Amino acid sequence: MDMVAAIESEKETENPGNYLACNLSSNWQVNGNNLTNTSVEMISMNNSTVEPSACSAASMVDSFCPQNWDQQANSETLSNLDSVRANLGWNPNQILRSGVFLPAVPGMIHQSLPHFPADSAFIQRAARFSSFSGGNFGEMMNSFTVPDPLNPYSHTFALMQGPHEIFRGNGYEMNLAEASKEASFPVEYGTEMSPLQNEKRCGNFLRSQDEVKNAVDILRNESGMDEFNNRDPIEKFEDAAVESSGQGLGSKKRKRIAQNEKKEAPQPFVETEKDHVESKPKGDQDPASSSKPVGKQGKQGSQGSDIPKEEYIHVRARRGQATNSHSLAERVRREKISERMKYLQDLVPGCSKVTGKAVMLDEIINYVQSLQRQVEFLSMKLATVNPRLEFNIEAFLAKDVHQPRTGLPSSLTIPPDMNLLYPPLHPSQPTIIQSGIPALGNSSDALRRAINLRSTAVGEEFKEPSSQVPNAWEDELHNVVQKGFNSSPTIDEQDLSGILHILKSSFIYRLRC
Amino acid sequence: MKERMQNSSLKQEFLKNWIKGLQLHTNFNKNTTILERRKAIKLSADIAIASTRNSTTRWSRALISDASRDGSNKTLIEKISGREAPRKDSFGLIRCSKKIMKRSRVTRQIRARKAVLPSVVGASLIEKKLVKSRTRALKRLVPGGEDMDEISLIKETIDYIVSLRVQVDVMGRMASVADRLIPFKSL
Repeated sequence: MDMVAAIESEKETENPGNYLACNLSSNWQVNGNNLTNTSVEMISMNNSTVEPSACSAASMVDSFCPQNWDQQANSETLSNLDSVRANLGWNPNQILRSGVFLPAVPGMIHQSLPHFPADSAFIQRAARFSSFSGGNFGEMMNSFTVPDPLNPYSHTFALMQGPHEIFRGNGYEMNLAEASKEASFPVEYGTEMSPLQNEKRCGNFLRSQDEVKNAVDILRNESGMDEFNNRDPIEKFEDAAVESSGQGLGSKKRKRIAQNEKKEAPQPFVETEKDHVESKPKGDQDPASSSKPVGKQGKQGSQGSDIPKEEYIHVRARRGQATNSHSLAERVRREKISERMKYLQDLVPGCSKVTGKAVMLDEIINYVQSLQRQVEFLSMKLATVNPRLEFNIEAFLAKDVHQPRTGLPSSLTIPPDMNLLYPPLHPSQPTIIQSGIPALGNSSDALRRAINLRSTAVGEEFKEPSSQVPNAWEDELHNVVQKGFNSSPTIDEQDLSGILHILKSSFIYRLRC
Repeated sequence: MKERMQNSSLKQEFLKNWIKGLQLHTNFNKNTTILERRKAIKLSADIAIASTRNSTTRWSRALISDASRDGSNKTLIEKISGREAPRKDSFGLIRCSKKIMKRSRVTRQIRARKAVLPSVVGASLIEKKLVKSRTRALKRLVPGGEDMDEISLIKETIDYIVSLRVQVDVMGRMASVADRLIPFKSL
């Protein structure tokens, strides 16, 4: 139990999340200092019209992210982004469109621009969000869980739905053609726009990203800003816009920054980002890939046809690297692997400080082995605790056929939709367990009533010594339920205890027979 | 908060499936050894957690197919997953292809070893060897991992770890509740 308790406490205390937080924040702050300098510079050059649009854009992107995303970061980064855009004299339509989002997003208040950096990293993630095929986000959430440690960075949680989505889609690469699906994604976050508007919004945002990239190129070429302070954020903007295009600085720098930024973004986003963005420069060459920018307009009907086209990942060779197709493919593969390893790092506790594939793999192996051993140990323990995990309690039921049976159905309401869980109660042995199973869906009140009925029924049937036992159990159950699982008092624990109580009651009485 | 909610829904689904499976073991008479009971509990738990994935992941499919190879588990699987246990044929084919892949992999390795005989073993070579051996070990750990390439192996490992955590959590809670509820235990 120590191991289990340790694991549980680990989850509760969210240690991995803490060091993820530390790592990320340290990276971001380093970048952010540079950024704030430039941002101040740029903002001073703006006119006032940029400000509200920046906030609206911030709120727009906020709508992409879960609520507990650091909204200050968003506003900061987006204000910088917009300031760059405005600086280059972009068409105000872009800004106005983003301005439309402001009223549609309830609860997103205009924030002041604090120190928090990580704009390009954020933009990258935002781009990935928009390119991410949200599908039915609620559905995703139900079937793929992310451990609690990621709570402070729950934006990454949403991003990390990616692996699950990959599973669902049987491995096909998501792309912008499914932008229409992701329409549900922002909707999930409380915006009230129609799906169509959401699609447009996604499309707009992505297009604006490419425009940012173009703008950054222009900026670099024309203004020739060479100071490190100025170049760094631009680099990042570029990286945000284009994953691995070969322009600009050497590949090494790009790799480093890209790696920093890719810390939380799982592989599918990289792929979709690559798919989309890199198809754009190659759009004229490859007609197949040009379907992607078209697809991002949100044509739901074309999703099916776009899927088979997504099998190719278009990669451009970075500057200073071999353009051999083999090495390119290998590079893509390596990047994929490293993306997923980073995600695994978050998952496996105690792995965030570890670098290197071999050590990471070792940790992962140890962790999986320990989990498997825990399962074995727990199953052994449950086998010992229940001398007879007896579910067939016909004899017991034969004795108290009358009252509890009628009492049970009344106490346990059977919702019509849960027909899987609630097969019709018929007077045979499954009744007791099925009374346990409904407890899963119901509140604990019904459960307690069932337990009370059970114990009273039993008390009637059996003699004195046995009738004392259910009372003791009743107290015990209450104690357990109230005190036992303080860490996370969710319904499932109460149900668990209730179910187990019912199980125990059944077999204990059988023993006595 | 949201993660907790999904986590708990996953736990509930696992618990549902698990109890459904445990129900089937109605023949626990006085002669059942503790090992048999443990095996039954573990099997139910494994199939339950695999079926929460609805065959979307390879490890879950491999787990269920491995369990269904033993004929006595068919009813268990059908009860828990609510669908027919996978037929043997398709997995037989997969096993054939696995063997072919393994054979080719082995010959490739032999050839590679013969070809390259570095006088000085660099750090990168050591690292590569380590990574390879550990990848192999991980493949053995994850059910159905033998034929996966590295990329999907890592994907599957992620999902597998999450599911294992859920399994451990729910079983642990059950065990702790059992501890406290039973005033006396008889082995």
